[in-house]
Amino acid sequence: MIKKRLVGVVTVRGGWAVQSFGYGRYLPLGRPEVLVQNLDRWGADEIMLQCIDRSGGDIGPDFDLLDRVARLGIATPLIYSGGIRNANDARASVNIGADRVCVDALLHDNPDAVAQMGYLLGAQAVIAALPLSVVDGAVLWRDYRIGRDAPLSPEVIALLNEGAVSEALLIDHAHEGHPGAFDPAILDCGLADNVPLIAFGGISDTQAMKGLLKRDAIVAIAVGNFLSYREHAVQAYKEALFDVPVRPAHYNRTVYS
Amino acid sequence: MNISAPEQSCSRCLYTSRHALGLVIDDEGICSGCRIHEEKDRLDFAERFETLKRIVDPYRAKDPRNYDCIVPVTGGQDSHFIVHVVKEQLGLNPLLVTYNKYFNTPLGIRNLANLRIKFDCDILIQNVNPVSIKNITRTTLRMFGSLHWPCLAGQTVFPVQTAVRYKVPLIIWGAHQGLEQVGMFSHGHEVEMTRRYRRDHDLMGHEADDLLSLFDTLREEDVWQFRYPDDADLAQVGVRGIYLGNYIRWDPKAQHEQMVATHGYQGARFARTFGTYDYVDCYNYMDLHDHLKLVKHGYSKVTDHACREIRHGRLTRKGAQALVAHYEVQPPVHRKLFEEWLGVTRGGLDFIIDQHRNPAIWEEVQPNRFERRVASDPGAEDRAAVEAALSFDAHAPLDRGTGHGYITIGKGYPL
Repeated sequence: MIKKRLVGVVTVRGGWAVQSFGYGRYLPLGRPEVLVQNLDRWGADEIMLQCIDRSGGDIGPDFDLLDRVARLGIATPLIYSGGIRNANDARASVNIGADRVCVDALLHDNPDAVAQMGYLLGAQAVIAALPLSVVDGAVLWRDYRIGRDAPLSPEVIALLNEGAVSEALLIDHAHEGHPGAFDPAILDCGLADNVPLIAFGGISDTQAMKGLLKRDAIVAIAVGNFLSYREHAVQAYKEALFDVPVRPAHYNRTVYS
Repeated sequence: MNISAPEQSCSRCLYTSRHALGLVIDDEGICSGCRIHEEKDRLDFAERFETLKRIVDPYRAKDPRNYDCIVPVTGGQDSHFIVHVVKEQLGLNPLLVTYNKYFNTPLGIRNLANLRIKFDCDILIQNVNPVSIKNITRTTLRMFGSLHWPCLAGQTVFPVQTAVRYKVPLIIWGAHQGLEQVGMFSHGHEVEMTRRYRRDHDLMGHEADDLLSLFDTLREEDVWQFRYPDDADLAQVGVRGIYLGNYIRWDPKAQHEQMVATHGYQGARFARTFGTYDYVDCYNYMDLHDHLKLVKHGYSKVTDHACREIRHGRLTRKGAQALVAHYEVQPPVHRKLFEEWLGVTRGGLDFIIDQHRNPAIWEEVQPNRFERRVASDPGAEDRAAVEAALSFDAHAPLDRGTGHGYITIGKGYPL
């Protein structure tokens, strides 16, 4: 049974797709729509469009961008993340074209609103993003807007353990964008064993991917920067992941009318 | 991209956050292009060249009658240096490929002939029929204000099509423009050619089939030559395009001067920039196309050249400002050739150009009369002295003194 996924991440800042390094350094890449369409053609299992400057400025989701992406008519499930302030923002994102939404800042500000989102859209449509790092042996949760680290709050742990959202995106924020740097220790962040996890941040080599995907709790690997360096980067990863249950590599052939 | 966002300027070079390729300015006010350029003085390029040798080695053809790689060339950019590296330093047997852009200058044809003779290489030239090229040019001018789309599309797709057809998987390009201009990638990322980058930046977001519309006269038979090979075909041959700039300390001025001295490359003066080595093969790139760049994006090639020279330490920011303020307002001098080629009147072309004026940059002060909202500051430097100190050499005019316009067929043009 094919049940694990490779998620392509498109990070957007100031309207541009960017490479992101450790939540602090950025390099421009291009138009988000073009990156999304490319990941769709390459056969990514899911695409996450994350707009990282929406919550800090409290300007809400980038509905214009989401609308442009929706009009591409892609076949890959789309996760939208960025600036979602409440259940209505989440519902509007789905109305425009997202299949699922991912929240981060809202988990700090109002976990109840995240639970409400799960009731409104169904828990399967909501993902909790948790930027984590290991400091002195303890896994700490970062509020990226103010750069503060703290243990995961009991409310958020309860939200995830009770299944109010479908999956937790565990982000090694310190190592994000740096090849082969993902720290598996962040996976032990205090969540129940049955919470499905997506691992993200510095995962670039296939051995590490295999090791992670063979864990029961991990349902997906998310990759961002490393998909922009080579042609067919998604297919190359998938070919190397032949012994884990991911969808096989697909090389597109266009049929012109 | 985000037109409402406040414009930020790099404190080291002259680029702003409105760069057409995207630009990130960090907390210290330095742009991503300048940051990545710093790597050029930090990296061990001797070691990186050894990496390059290891990458290309498996691609050496076992049959001497086959080619080791494909090298896209023109008569006006870094081609002499690229072929020098590929053939004389790496010892590869390249198949050169070039695309006939129709706006060819006599000097560009001369340089291309010089290239294939001096380096003794086989060359393939792609000629797409002129009727389709003119049809596409009309459409791209109208759609997104580009007269150069067919040239860019042809130059970037023909080498890839050739790699698939000839089953020669390795394509070797010069520098990655996204890395060089805006620091899109670190040298260490060793970025390779992708269809995504081509569409996003070379083709301004529009692949060939995106140009077709029910409301236009352009047809599939006009654009099919510009279609990128399918993923399945690329994968079957194992096509891979690498950039020498990841492994060699890329310095176009120094490289061109070397090629002038050792292999007879020739540069020319332009009306709109102080640089003399790039795009001498084209009447439009540094001219009318460059004017359109200013209309759409608020900067032109002289800013690209000035930023490059600042980063290489040969030009101060103030000196660069003097050069940019002088050159970017110079009118195109080869515009009439284009109007005659396309069959468009001066007023008609002006109308199309004005449709693409960026309202964040231009104000219509009277009907059909536009002024820059913020003109470039020339500063106090003496432009002529700054330019003389840079010493970009020219060797011949674009038309080589012949008075010849576009050379549509370059085959056999004498040296």
